[in-house]
Amino acid sequence: MVEMTSFEIISRKEFDLVRITDRVREFAENSGVKNGLVYVITNHTTTGVFVNESLECLETDIENFLGDLIPTVKDYAHNHFLPSYGATGNNCPGHLKSLVVGNHSVIPIKDGKMFGGAAQEIYFAEFDGIQLRKVQIVVMGE
Amino acid sequence: MVIDMHVHPAFYGEICTPEKVKEHKKIGGYDLMGPFPKEETCIQMDHFGVDRLVLLPLDVSAHEGGHLVTNEEIRALMDLEPERFWGFASVDPDSPDALEVLDYAFKNLGLMGLKLNPSKQAFYPADPKMDAIYKKCIQYNKPILFHAGMSWEPGTLMKYSVPLNFEEVAVKYPQLRICLAHFGWPFAVDTAALCLKYPNVYTDTSAMYMDSPEKFMDYIFNQAWGPLWFQNNFAKQVMFGSNNPRFRTARVKRGLDSIEMRDDVREKLMGGNALRFLGMED
Repeated sequence: MVEMTSFEIISRKEFDLVRITDRVREFAENSGVKNGLVYVITNHTTTGVFVNESLECLETDIENFLGDLIPTVKDYAHNHFLPSYGATGNNCPGHLKSLVVGNHSVIPIKDGKMFGGAAQEIYFAEFDGIQLRKVQIVVMGE
Repeated sequence: MVIDMHVHPAFYGEICTPEKVKEHKKIGGYDLMGPFPKEETCIQMDHFGVDRLVLLPLDVSAHEGGHLVTNEEIRALMDLEPERFWGFASVDPDSPDALEVLDYAFKNLGLMGLKLNPSKQAFYPADPKMDAIYKKCIQYNKPILFHAGMSWEPGTLMKYSVPLNFEEVAVKYPQLRICLAHFGWPFAVDTAALCLKYPNVYTDTSAMYMDSPEKFMDYIFNQAWGPLWFQNNFAKQVMFGSNNPRFRTARVKRGLDSIEMRDDVREKLMGGNALRFLGMED
């Protein structure tokens, strides 16, 4: 069986890490799937979803690491007017951070419970805030 | 106070039905953009340190049969967030009731100025048919924010909006404060000349058609203009504006933050000049 839902987040900062484990767990463990997988997938190209330990120090390190790897100010090819939007595309760092982090995470479900490690937190990552964002949860199993 | 003088609330969820979104995309050339809640804008303002947004409608009823946000919708948004949103009116100069609409907007809706786009509304600023509208603005002591220079919106010709077209208006109505928006880009030097010569001419920073925010603003303030032109010649006549949603308020502000200027001049740029343009300060 496959069960799906989605929820919205308004990010609070240009770079924002939002902990979403509880929302994912609630849906996954009420989905009726006893054994399977839960996928958490972002709808956007300047955001990410990843798993890591929920410590403020690590969140700072992740922001600094991605910021060092992908600087805000650089001569990106994407810095030009986009007729498809009628706007200038000045969000290349968000696209590249999204590429590094990826658009989804997967957690096993066993005996009706999310079966991740004790330290694992699921994060929604905003790299081009502040914006209204959509995240999908897909549960697959039996 | 930090004031973004140039915001088009075309996708503010509180005024957007699916039909309105379609109309706004068509008139504005916004294509892939979509609606978002007011809460998103409020969070942005608080986070990026912007105190007021001046919301602009555009009336193209005579030319395209519609609006890119109406005067009444601007008033409704102001009422939703009176401590954040200020608003202008717009009339289509070719509408037979343009003067009545403008009078109602100033007297009954309490709108703070007039937005016109000569390229989109297909008129020359010095056309005598505009005199009654200019006199109405003077009667109510309301400024006019004109689109100037290139417009991305479909159905627009630059010939109507080149900065020199506004010189006769500046001369004929010295008591009328007019803003030639977007630096008049790509005619930024012409705009500078008009600001130098006419104290009632202003411009705003709502252009970022090329490069990063830092590079584009460096081009305007340090290359197209000499590095001291703004500070030493027309420091009271340039206003912070973004042209949001085409260019994000925070990104334009970031570009301006990267330009070296004296603190007193930056205060004028980011808000002081807007207060004077709006008639709220001498």
